[in-house]
Amino acid sequence: MTKTTIPVHLDINGHHHELQLEPRVTLLDALRERLGLTGTKKGCDHGQCGACTVHIDGERVLACLTLAAQAEGRAITTIEGLAREGELHPVQAAFLEQDAFQCGYCTSGQIMSAVACIREGHAGSDEEIREYMAGNLCRCGAYPHIVAAVRQAAQEFAA
Amino acid sequence: MTVHNIRVGQSKRGDASDGTLAEAIGGRLSRVDGPAKITGAAKYAVEQQLEGLVHAVLVESTIASGKVRVIDAAAAEAAPGVLQVLTPDTIISLKTAADWFGTPPPDKPYCPLARDITFSGQHVAAVVAETFEQAVAAAALVKVSYDETPSIVDLSDGKAGDGIPIDAMTKEWGDASTAFASAPVRICAAYNTPREYQAPMEPHGLVARWEGDHLTVWEPSQWLDGMARTYAEWFGIPFGNVRLVSPYIGGGFGSKALALSHGAVAACAARMLRRPVKLVMTRPQTFTGYGGRAATRQTVTIGADRDGVIQSIVHRGVNETSMDGMWVEPLGSVTSIMYATPNFSSKQNVVRVNSVVPGAMRAPGENPSAFGIESAIDELAYEVGIDPLEIRLRNYAEQDPHAKKAWSTRQLREAFAAGAERFGWARRSPEPRSMRDGNQLIGWGVAAGTYPVRRAYGEAVVRILADGSVEVESSSIDMGQGTYTILAQTAAETVGVPADNVVVKLGDSRFPRAGVTGGSRLAGVMTGAVYKAATSALDQLVGLAISDPRSPFHALQANTLVVANGRIASPRGDGPDVSIAELLNSVGRDHIEAKGDTMPANSTAEDRYKNYTTIAMSVPHTEGDYSRHSWCAHFIEVRVDEDFGTVRVSRVVSALDSGRLYNPKLAESQWKGGIIMGIGQALLEEGIVDRRHGRIVNDNLADYLVPTNADIPDIEVISVGIPDLHASVLGGKGVGELAIVGIAPAIANAVFHATGKRIRDLPITLEKLI
Repeated sequence: MTKTTIPVHLDINGHHHELQLEPRVTLLDALRERLGLTGTKKGCDHGQCGACTVHIDGERVLACLTLAAQAEGRAITTIEGLAREGELHPVQAAFLEQDAFQCGYCTSGQIMSAVACIREGHAGSDEEIREYMAGNLCRCGAYPHIVAAVRQAAQEFAA
Repeated sequence: MTVHNIRVGQSKRGDASDGTLAEAIGGRLSRVDGPAKITGAAKYAVEQQLEGLVHAVLVESTIASGKVRVIDAAAAEAAPGVLQVLTPDTIISLKTAADWFGTPPPDKPYCPLARDITFSGQHVAAVVAETFEQAVAAAALVKVSYDETPSIVDLSDGKAGDGIPIDAMTKEWGDASTAFASAPVRICAAYNTPREYQAPMEPHGLVARWEGDHLTVWEPSQWLDGMARTYAEWFGIPFGNVRLVSPYIGGGFGSKALALSHGAVAACAARMLRRPVKLVMTRPQTFTGYGGRAATRQTVTIGADRDGVIQSIVHRGVNETSMDGMWVEPLGSVTSIMYATPNFSSKQNVVRVNSVVPGAMRAPGENPSAFGIESAIDELAYEVGIDPLEIRLRNYAEQDPHAKKAWSTRQLREAFAAGAERFGWARRSPEPRSMRDGNQLIGWGVAAGTYPVRRAYGEAVVRILADGSVEVESSSIDMGQGTYTILAQTAAETVGVPADNVVVKLGDSRFPRAGVTGGSRLAGVMTGAVYKAATSALDQLVGLAISDPRSPFHALQANTLVVANGRIASPRGDGPDVSIAELLNSVGRDHIEAKGDTMPANSTAEDRYKNYTTIAMSVPHTEGDYSRHSWCAHFIEVRVDEDFGTVRVSRVVSALDSGRLYNPKLAESQWKGGIIMGIGQALLEEGIVDRRHGRIVNDNLADYLVPTNADIPDIEVISVGIPDLHASVLGGKGVGELAIVGIAPAIANAVFHATGKRIRDLPITLEKLI
């Protein structure tokens, strides 16, 4: 059989991973199917729902629309890498306190988007939060509580 | 261990502003499964990492009606990594399983891959390969040719006809047509709702693994025992040989209660290949792999006197079903109970179209029913010139007009009052188009909603362990409603331990059984079962403490002891004060275990099996002397752009009666979720059918529009419920489905108030307003 895989080196949550992948493998499937990092969710596989949001070099990216090979040599952060030394990230803590989720399936993506949204400076008002969090669908309808959680975390960062 | 297993103490508490301790029943304890969900640690069903796992991808029909002529699988079979292509000719044969009522099935084989096509998107083949990518690529190489026949694409198809009368849906009293004919005020209108889809964020899928004749299925499930029964019947193996595991469910909204054909395909593939198989639907497949809410048509005629007092309601409804399945969406369910009327008639037909059989979606029946009657009464209000809130009070049903029984509780009047006060309804200018802000027309609308209290039975085990902690087990599930949390609260309060010391394990069919999580029944059922089991465990604990010769309380000769905060003491305050762990240690016990259930006394094993694996034993909401329902009133403000006809919901105040709330923080979230799904239904959601091939054109999340964060304003919910002990052991009524009921008509009514245009056809999109 001809060689159909390529070596891909991924830096995820500060850990280095060496994988042998077909070039068509998405970052999302590499995370979920090859590395057991299932915190990043697959909701549509077409960039429509936001459940697969991760950070690459600090920016929010849809892992289902990113080939794993495209992320080589760049710093990938997933939901599993957000809490530091067992301390929840302030956005995670705010999501729990505000009950900003129900089923939890969109939550990883919401939290990763929210962290970036605040970092981008797009959490200045509820209106702005709603707009810049609109790419992450939540069918349980936690939106008002997501807004409250992002607002709370943004204020903690500003303080 | 695949089950959820988190201690309450890892989560933050809610506030205790209402005076209730957060961890007691009724307290605002934060979700105990929250830490797992916010850190990505929560493993959903298909995320199991199994040795030797292979991947299956479905191939679906591209016609709506006809026969498969040939499936050419040669190219797919030759593709890299492919292990097997399953077709109707190669897949192993299954037996037909009973339906969810437990009706004995016909003795004929069941094939989850179709030769005879009755809808577009039907599974015709599946490809199994070593990797997901290989399976996806090979599935695209499967060539299917068809002999296509004409199809009936939807209700508006000229070939659809009037359908089949469903006599069981007929509700009549008085003489509705005569009373209507003689009424001084008469209104008549038709109301339509389109196909709508549950669209849970987690797509349907499963991992199936065989070990000999034992099947384990990791699958998101609203009903472990019912689905396990179906798998067992398909494969002709004992019920006990099937284990369903579903620790977390990424949203269901009615769609994950039944074992479906894709599950059969995956389980067959696993059996044929002797390897665990993972099959997850693509997002487009979730629009045809199971049914969403059926499209509906209703006509509502109301005859009233000039004061707006209803004399007669005549209601006719139609919903679509599939060619070979039967789905009845009970369209007269709200129509027949919301308002007092001396004369009433409701009838319903079902029309067969080339669609997947429709299914349950949040408040099936009540939701479209309320769109009809709650729009119609608004039309009557304008016809007679009475405030839309006032006309609802004027026709208030003091008892169930259909069952002729007293309400167990009906805080609807209180809901109208509380909602109106908070919303500022009294400041509403009655005339349409009379309120505006620049080029935005402002409209205020009101509508009521209701959902019956569906009751069933459940079991739970409560264990008090040697370290003083408490463990709860049940095969019920948590798809976001908060089952983990409220059962921890129930066990903690009943036994008398801190909620930190309770571990709740759900989502495994090996645990004590539970019926379907649907119809908003689970919280009432399971808090009752856990309460009983925990009470029994507590009795054992206290009994041991009083009577065991080794107990430090033995000499006290007390009649009873008090357990609180994990410690045991005499109620008089004399004698010892020891921890549960110390007591168990002193009497030489490593645990105390009690099973509790809410089944009637003398239930046989057969009764129990039937109760947990079918819905045949659900208790009618009108059983005995009372009619039991949740109630709500929604007050909604919309802003309609006068030039473009775009509608924005700008304010929502809803007052709801779900009886006693086991955890208001989580109940409020569910209510808001229902309201938001209702906003989607009112303004966005519609399955669009291609008229040539009967395909759902917008079968994805970019084209089937669900609400985004930017579509949703702040939402205020107010609880007006009181404990209803006719409804459940601890006094709660249904929460999850109630709040969506009445949202769409409240918005349509607000849009009429804003624009003077009555939209009777959902969703309310801009082209209908300009």
